[in-house]
Amino acid sequence: MAVRRLTVKNIISRIRQTFPEAPDNYLYNLINDALLEAGLYRTKVEYAKATTVEDQMWYDLSDTGSSVDINKVFRVDFMDSAGDYIKTPRMLDGEILKMDIT
Amino acid sequence: MASNHNHPENDVAWFIVGDKLAVITTRGSDSSSVHSKSGDWKAIDEAVTNGVLIHYYAEPNTVDELSDYPDIDNAMHASIVDYVKSKLYIDRAGKTTDPNASGTAMNLAMVHEKQWRDALVKFGTRRRDKIGGQRAVRTFDLR
Repeated sequence: MAVRRLTVKNIISRIRQTFPEAPDNYLYNLINDALLEAGLYRTKVEYAKATTVEDQMWYDLSDTGSSVDINKVFRVDFMDSAGDYIKTPRMLDGEILKMDIT
Repeated sequence: MASNHNHPENDVAWFIVGDKLAVITTRGSDSSSVHSKSGDWKAIDEAVTNGVLIHYYAEPNTVDELSDYPDIDNAMHASIVDYVKSKLYIDRAGKTTDPNASGTAMNLAMVHEKQWRDALVKFGTRRRDKIGGQRAVRTFDLR
């Protein structure tokens, strides 16, 4: 049985029932705004890998600086000596004694 | 290449400040060097290719073709219509000079806004999650 999904065309045709004069570009913008807002409510889970550098503390998560679009990180694993990814704890306050800027 | 950490759950941790992820470790030399000895938190001490696996909630991809499917659960697809209509009704309310038409448009904007909010926030988790079935009840073991 096919999964019921709506294409952008389906969505726009529903909107045009009430707003036949709405420009296409504006509708695309509004649909993308809706997706952006929906993304704030944990709709899509993704994974990414990062390479550590010796004695480097900070790694970029920004949408422009990294290749992934992260809203909220909920788990970080670190590779152990067997090559498996092991869950590591999150430090709650992040107030460590020896801070680094790199 | 694997790392040299046998039990990263014991000596590696992470935290986030703004857009930066900090990966830190307590592993270090046994020397009495100030603030760098074993047990003190410091920057991760080795280079590991793909050594960190990050699990995160991501932003959906944008759409730019008529044939695209919105990059969210299909249970939410119809709700996008409500979001767009709410914005268009607000636009209509701002453009018209007739106060009655403006008021009606604002009311309809609120209706669609509420339907969008309900789908996304109020019932969103229940609609989107893939967890179902009866929960097990486990009593305490009193032995």
